[in-house]
Amino acid sequence: MIRFAGLVVLLLITVALSGCTGDPGGVTELKVLPAGSLLIPFEEAEEEFEALHPGVDVQLEGHGSIQVIRQVTDLHRAADVVAVADESLIPDMMYRRMEDSEENYTDWYIPFATNEMVIAYTPTSRYAGEITSENWYEILDRPGVRTGFSNPMLDAAGYRTLMVVQLAESEYGNETLFASLIGNHFDPPLEVTTDGGVTTIHLPQIMKPSDQELVIRDGSIYLISLLQAGGIDYAFEYRSVADAVGLEWIPLPESINLGSSDLEQEYSKVKVELGFQRFSSIGKERTGRHIVYAITIPANAPHPELAEEFMNYVLGQAGKGRPGWPPPLGQGS
Amino acid sequence: MRSAIPALLLLAACTVLCLLAGCTGTPAGGTVQADDFSDWRLTLNGTGEEVLTLEDLRGLPASEGHGYAVSTVGIRYGPYRCRGVDLTLLVDMAGGMGERDQVWVSAPDGYLWVFDAEQMSGEGFVTFNEDLKEIPSPPLSIILMYEQDGHPLSYNDGGPARIAIISKEPGVVTEGSAWVKWVDRIEVRST
Repeated sequence: MIRFAGLVVLLLITVALSGCTGDPGGVTELKVLPAGSLLIPFEEAEEEFEALHPGVDVQLEGHGSIQVIRQVTDLHRAADVVAVADESLIPDMMYRRMEDSEENYTDWYIPFATNEMVIAYTPTSRYAGEITSENWYEILDRPGVRTGFSNPMLDAAGYRTLMVVQLAESEYGNETLFASLIGNHFDPPLEVTTDGGVTTIHLPQIMKPSDQELVIRDGSIYLISLLQAGGIDYAFEYRSVADAVGLEWIPLPESINLGSSDLEQEYSKVKVELGFQRFSSIGKERTGRHIVYAITIPANAPHPELAEEFMNYVLGQAGKGRPGWPPPLGQGS
Repeated sequence: MRSAIPALLLLAACTVLCLLAGCTGTPAGGTVQADDFSDWRLTLNGTGEEVLTLEDLRGLPASEGHGYAVSTVGIRYGPYRCRGVDLTLLVDMAGGMGERDQVWVSAPDGYLWVFDAEQMSGEGFVTFNEDLKEIPSPPLSIILMYEQDGHPLSYNDGGPARIAIISKEPGVVTEGSAWVKWVDRIEVRST
């Protein structure tokens, strides 16, 4: 009888433990939230890290950069690592008190990579044999050419596209370039104002082009799919994304591609005012900046030590400048 | 020795209870949201204003259809059988909308999304098949969903009420950015 009772005790404890440790089957689940343009590199890192750490299951969940942070700060979801495509978002959104705590969501971040905006296309895109870094804006303006970019309301690559095209006006001495490539494809045309040397692009609440020559989608994967299917001819993308999926691309001048830290001052002369404040936790104005990716570990991460190991692994790999990864800082354009 | 058996069983029960108490699935740094929506209110604001309880919402004529959403990075949510109230009906209760008006839908987590008149009539959405290839859009409706797959919408799924874009035919995927969770305010605004 005593043996039986002991067995019951063991059985109950085992059942209880197996069902509710949060690490089923002895596997530790590491929750990692990367920005969309980091998904492919982080999938590679996931596979490699898991091979080096038996018993660890890295769970990736990609979102737009702002949504990545909101998972932690507004939706109060547990996350071990946060990585975004715009370093300014971490201090702006995470350097604040957690609920019922004296601690901030985080007080630090590590900038680890950069990127640059390019124009991606395929060999079957119209005028693919003609487009160059010098004439791209003329090609994109030709009748029948369809160009895509992601929704600035949802994706940093979207508002960065608007900045690139606006900056191109000064680069090429063409004051109607933004209107002809983007602004006039809306009804009414997009409003652009200049004050004190800063140009601001004002967006409507709904980003709906008025013709078929401009295409806007929620995220870059949909543009890639459209490019490959021939639904569009060109798309504004990050260089690392175009590389990772094997698209052709042309580089843009440093003065407009947001890829040079030396030109931060020039980039900041363009702003985008979104049509509405989609999130109460961040305003609706975006300023042109050098593209810098950043990573942090939230103060309430369930597995902080393992998170640090994963973060260090990613930083080490990013530093190598692997194909399809955003280039390390200092090795951008 | 026989008297030790009840004690052992008691110990076992206590251990199990303690373990269970410590592993309810509470997200770190967060709070478990019990699905008690008795305090939830939906504010409809336009030329008039109405405040509805969940019971009021459930008492309105219902629309049903297939809903399937995809995130900006391609994560699919669904397919679901969705039941709720057509957004146009709720807008009518707020005083209706003109052709140039917009419908602003927001939630207490700070999320906001805007629909125009074309979308309110079920047009102007990008739609995909299950392989995320773009397809011509069938007729769509925007509803405020309170029931998913025959069950009340849970808090984790955006309950008590979230936006869903539905169609009569299955397998039509729509962009998830419009599927606002935890809706508590619907406002008609002039542009």
